[in-house]
Amino acid sequence: MRVLWLAPVWIALGCPLAVCADSSPGDPELARDVLPLLKTRCVKCHGPAKREGKLNLSTPLSIARGGENGEVVVPREVDSSLLWHRVEADEMPPDDPLPADERAVLQRWIAAGAKRLPTAITAQESGSDHWAFARLIEPTVPEVRNPNGARTNVDRFLLAQLDSQGLAFNPEADRATLIRRVSFDLTGLPPTPQEIKTFLDDSGADAYERMVERFLASPHYGERWGKYWLDAAGYADSNGYFNADSDRPLAYRYRDYVVRALNQDKPFDRFVLEQIAGDELSGFVPGREATREMISLLEATHYLRNGQDGSGESDGNLDEVRTDRYAALESTTQIVASSLLGLTLQCAKCHDHKFESISQRDYYQLQAVFYPAFNIQSWLKPNDRFVIANLPGEAERWEQHSQKITAEIAQLKAGFAAWARSNRPPSTVLFHDEFEDSGPRLAENWSNTAPGDDVAGGAVPVQLDSAQAPGALRQNGVLQILESGMPGDRWISTKQSFDWTPEGEGHWIQLSFDLVDNKVSAGGTPAERIAYFIALHDFNDNSPLPGGNVLIDGNPAGGAAVHVDYPGADSKTAGEFGNGKYERGHNYGLRITNVGDGKFRLDHLVDGVPDDKTLQLKTEDLPDGGFGFEYCCGRSFVVDNVLIERSVAAFNGGDIGQKITDQLQEKRKELAAAVKAKEAERGEQPGKIACVTDRSEKIPDVFLLERGNYATPKEKVQPTPLSALADAPVPFDVKQPFPGAPSTGARLAWARWLTQATSRPAALLARVQINRIWQHHFGAGLVTTVENLGASGAQPSHGELLDYLAGQFIRSGWSMKAMHRLLLKSAAYCQTSSLQPDAFKIDPDNRLLWRHRIERLDAESMRDAMLATSGQLDRHFGGPYVATSRNDLGEVIVNQSGPGANRRSLYLQQRRTQTLSLLNVFDSPTIVFNCVQRPASTMPLQSLSLLNSEFVVRQARRFAERLDREAGAQSEARVAYGFLLALARGPTEAEMRSSLDFIRIQREQYAAKADAELNAWADFCQMMLASNPFLYVE
Amino acid sequence: MGLSELTTPSHESTSLSRRVFLGHYAGSLGALALAHLLGDSASRARAETATGESSGPTIRPKAKSVICLFQHGGPSQMDLFDPKPALNKYHGQPYPGGDLEIHFDKQKGNVLGSPFKFARHGGSGLELCELLPHTARVSDDLTLIRSMNTESVDHESALRLIHSGRFLAGLPSWGSWVTYALGSENRNLPSYVVLSDPGGLPVDGERNWSAGWLPAVYQGTAFRSGRSPVLNLQTPEGVSTEARRNQLHFLEQLNRSHLERHAENLELAARLANFETAARMQTAVPGVLDISQETAETRSLYGLDNPTTAEYGTRCLLARRLVEQGVRFVQIFLKAQPWDTHSRNAESLKGLCAMTDQPSAALVQDLKQRGLLDSTIVLWTGEFGRLPVSQGADGRDHNRRGFSLWLAGGGFKGGHVHGATDDFGYEAVKDVVTVHDLHASLLHALGLDHRRLTYPHDGRPTSLTDPDVTKARLVGELFA
Repeated sequence: MRVLWLAPVWIALGCPLAVCADSSPGDPELARDVLPLLKTRCVKCHGPAKREGKLNLSTPLSIARGGENGEVVVPREVDSSLLWHRVEADEMPPDDPLPADERAVLQRWIAAGAKRLPTAITAQESGSDHWAFARLIEPTVPEVRNPNGARTNVDRFLLAQLDSQGLAFNPEADRATLIRRVSFDLTGLPPTPQEIKTFLDDSGADAYERMVERFLASPHYGERWGKYWLDAAGYADSNGYFNADSDRPLAYRYRDYVVRALNQDKPFDRFVLEQIAGDELSGFVPGREATREMISLLEATHYLRNGQDGSGESDGNLDEVRTDRYAALESTTQIVASSLLGLTLQCAKCHDHKFESISQRDYYQLQAVFYPAFNIQSWLKPNDRFVIANLPGEAERWEQHSQKITAEIAQLKAGFAAWARSNRPPSTVLFHDEFEDSGPRLAENWSNTAPGDDVAGGAVPVQLDSAQAPGALRQNGVLQILESGMPGDRWISTKQSFDWTPEGEGHWIQLSFDLVDNKVSAGGTPAERIAYFIALHDFNDNSPLPGGNVLIDGNPAGGAAVHVDYPGADSKTAGEFGNGKYERGHNYGLRITNVGDGKFRLDHLVDGVPDDKTLQLKTEDLPDGGFGFEYCCGRSFVVDNVLIERSVAAFNGGDIGQKITDQLQEKRKELAAAVKAKEAERGEQPGKIACVTDRSEKIPDVFLLERGNYATPKEKVQPTPLSALADAPVPFDVKQPFPGAPSTGARLAWARWLTQATSRPAALLARVQINRIWQHHFGAGLVTTVENLGASGAQPSHGELLDYLAGQFIRSGWSMKAMHRLLLKSAAYCQTSSLQPDAFKIDPDNRLLWRHRIERLDAESMRDAMLATSGQLDRHFGGPYVATSRNDLGEVIVNQSGPGANRRSLYLQQRRTQTLSLLNVFDSPTIVFNCVQRPASTMPLQSLSLLNSEFVVRQARRFAERLDREAGAQSEARVAYGFLLALARGPTEAEMRSSLDFIRIQREQYAAKADAELNAWADFCQMMLASNPFLYVE
Repeated sequence: MGLSELTTPSHESTSLSRRVFLGHYAGSLGALALAHLLGDSASRARAETATGESSGPTIRPKAKSVICLFQHGGPSQMDLFDPKPALNKYHGQPYPGGDLEIHFDKQKGNVLGSPFKFARHGGSGLELCELLPHTARVSDDLTLIRSMNTESVDHESALRLIHSGRFLAGLPSWGSWVTYALGSENRNLPSYVVLSDPGGLPVDGERNWSAGWLPAVYQGTAFRSGRSPVLNLQTPEGVSTEARRNQLHFLEQLNRSHLERHAENLELAARLANFETAARMQTAVPGVLDISQETAETRSLYGLDNPTTAEYGTRCLLARRLVEQGVRFVQIFLKAQPWDTHSRNAESLKGLCAMTDQPSAALVQDLKQRGLLDSTIVLWTGEFGRLPVSQGADGRDHNRRGFSLWLAGGGFKGGHVHGATDDFGYEAVKDVVTVHDLHASLLHALGLDHRRLTYPHDGRPTSLTDPDVTKARLVGELFA
């Protein structure tokens, strides 16, 4: 029956170790038995949040302190203990009396002296009742039964507990096991044959320490441990929230900052300070030049932007927009609380926390620290939230570089245009006017009426050869279109009429003119449009013909709108074509090609070259008529060289015209590729940093929201430390961080409060981080709920050890690498993973660390290790992510032929909605907020990946080729080298035998194939990669 | 525990990984607990401990599996399930019922009546619209809830709410919760299968069946049409059965000494067993998808002989085949969001009902005649409803305050109407059921207590319903 009621409790709270195990020997223990029981049964009413009777039964200190009726536990005197009285009398818990076995736990614990219940209640702040909130006190290193079993104090703390169960560490693992373990632990990669050799050949007493140092010095260390931090910090390359899951193109600079910081062993307190308030530390003022240090500090603040932020895509009503913004701010608050404080704060958004001594007010006071940067009232969308911070001269250098690229691109385009002009289809000139001063008067070629029409265009028609607007003036070899701005439409037109619908499919007619200038005088207003007509035949719609008067409205912003039968009420829009911008100094026009069925394609010509977007008109749209320039709305401009031509040969069906079209397409593609390459060479403007800065120097009004509802703000709150961690002597001083800083200083004040070396908040920060480091080296945290060190989290298995390490951490100057050295040196770390049957019975989950855990490689390490083993790993550091994409099957993959396909998984696009399928199936998380702990699941889909996925099959083949290349022709040597690469050891005799057998029979299997030998070896390699010894680290 | 014990329970792979995962997170489980988490009896035992909420009736769980026919876009309740004469009376007039919450507030029109006739059907006299003649045929097997509401008029948010209980992206879907709780009954098939529309993914894509922070093994597996319904199901080209057998044999040799050194480690053993499972999946998956053996009668029941119904009908038929094979949770999606009838509401509904009515009803009928309906929950629902006024000339806008859905099988009442909206079908007013209540009730039907089905994440026990915040409660009146 016990198990039946406990089952849901384990799932809910994490299993309180010994309550579950029927075999717990001896007296009940406080941490192991009593606290979990009280937590399950009593703490909801008598806890840190809801202290009924002023009694808090969640911590040893607060139990010892008692409640308003005095002490509740009197050691050894069961009958004098109020706690027991109430339980025995069935008064507590009120509705649900304790079962007999649980009563017995309480009774026996008190009777045996209430072990580990503090006797002297120190005068510490009441917030420090909870162990994780208490000050760090240097614990006494315990004596151990066998001092030789301990190498370091870490071992002594562990052995003290093992001793009490009559257990001991396993013996030290062999060197091959150790180097593989250390290599994966510190770099996430297998050791190379050279690294293995160096270690095995080192006969010095401190060979192990030297080996550890080599891996700590590897740049891959920062990638491995950076990834752990990035997961805790909720890093992603996309904004999440909405379906669009839009891109975060600059997030990688933060990723690279983290990797660099860890490689430099940046003190962890400083690392935290920079991420919370790097901008306020930097001294950087936007608009000025930056130093490398400033840039790094700004990059660090992207930490606060890792949460989901859909505000760039918000499109609902104002309430919805507000919700989306708050969601981003709340994400940030939650990530800070989880990754730095090890607390689940988000419950306090709507109400005081049920299990923790965190009030709703605490929540909003913390939110107020970040609110100045994420001000809901003056919000910045993700893409607008950046600064430009350039090193001295960097902006200028880039500008020069960029101008050079611009010029080179212009040259490429000019080359293309020149080619297109000299290779255009042969034509007959129908009309040409170069407006030479020596030529005929304008009025001989041009008119203010359409050909065949008797009514001049416009109420005030254009005067030809006149400088009086509206007028058309030929001067200095060009034609000035002089618009008056008077009401009404008008034009000048060729007197000549043209057939705009050339007969025969593939035949064409085209017109072009030079746009000399978009204004007529230096001070004039540039014309908003450069508009011209074709098929001009009628001004006032008298003509029986429909269509005609096709207006081409050339746009300086690009392309041209086309209106048929313009002007008049029956004028209709035919759409837009082209994309070239109407700028002075270029040649514009169009080509009309008969495409059959009474349809005509309009190509937009810029400098004689058709651009991409075309348009279609019908025969009836294009009656015979003139070509002309429109006068409208004060738009004056200058043109030259009006040329109208028609084809001599149809432009289709394998004739010369088609050939030219094909060539043109080819050339256009080449041009596009060349321009793209140039643009890539140009690169991004340097100095753009997606960072966090406050929106003003003044602290904005921040309100507590009733029930977390954005529409019901209550009292105003100030940026303030968490009350449970607030100590009077630790300063919290919000002030402008440096002169001229566009910032409130709230974040800097908070970060300094958090990292003040001897304070309680710093103790918590150190515990949280040490617990995470411990988890990554030993497989589980000293507190198994790595994300929660609060009252509702698990109890530490070795609380004093955690405090000892946290103290060491702070004293070492918050050096992570020093902590790795300390932990990796321990006998606990170096022991084997083998089974001790007796120990397994007592402690099956190895909470006491009688052996080293055996752990599956996490998803990223597995992929990286496969690449490293096959020799394909691309070890480039940093930079923008390598894009992933979803293929037809729905599988998320990296384009194998693209650059960076074989880089470490850290550098692959971390898009929330698009996790690489291979990684996803091996439990790589989809980041919602953050992730400090992953499941390691085992399922058939993983086996399918290992057996059938293109990635694994490919790596196996490369691995086989590598054996062929590097191990010579002899099979034994190849097998041995394969084992060394994949498992960091040689094969046993049995393994050698079965490997050779397997290769032999597979060779026979594939005998009919050309590459039977390679196939057989690839199979051997693939099975190595799929094997447990490869996938697990001992 | 040795390898031999691993092969006896019918779904050791998922149970094992659950145990392995719990081992990582929750400390020791002890031998007895481990036994509970292995094998069928474990799921049922776990389920039984989770029943008996004081506010509702205690039932023995009937349902073992779920088929969710998801109807994206927000089906119009007043045109399909919830007749409102007042709409036709006030048709074309300004809405007399007060303020309405309008999503596209610039396009609000007058009251829009329904052009469709409603009639009573079956022994229960359930009132349904004329567009649903087949659903009407099985009306005595349906529980029709007319008093649903939800919290968002935004498609994505509402989808996430009904699939995962919160509108933030990335949470575990309810299918994942169910498979996490109950495991699989067929180790050769994924326990949570998604049959998405071959025409494209629904809005919000794969996230609709994400496992969120539950282990990846609980995420929905989308079966694709074509050669490889599951990723990596095909043996690489050129690898014969014989060659594959040799590979697996060699792999076992490679693992053997490793396993001997860690005999107690179930995860390692499970991984070995999984290679065999994977090999069996390679035949089991194509097998379950092969409908060639179905009778002409069955095919015609689902409308496979009619181009309008054939595609959706095939997927409904596959859903039955999957459940028959012990798959725990099957979800059918339509592409995009077809029920989102912002314009031409009436015309669109005709087409959509022509496509979905017959196959949906056929599924209920077929399950029933095979004796599977009691143990299978069929849920037909969208993410929200529509408004009583027009959007533009002839459309209806989103409505989160009232919508209808139906349930069949799994212990739910037959021929039962639950709750009601106001006179215009705008707001659920009687016996209101929130999305969270729906979740609580569905879990209950599966023998699970929504307050106890939790998973530790981010330092706290998380659950589908998060009852402290959502006030989710089981709706006892829905059960027979």
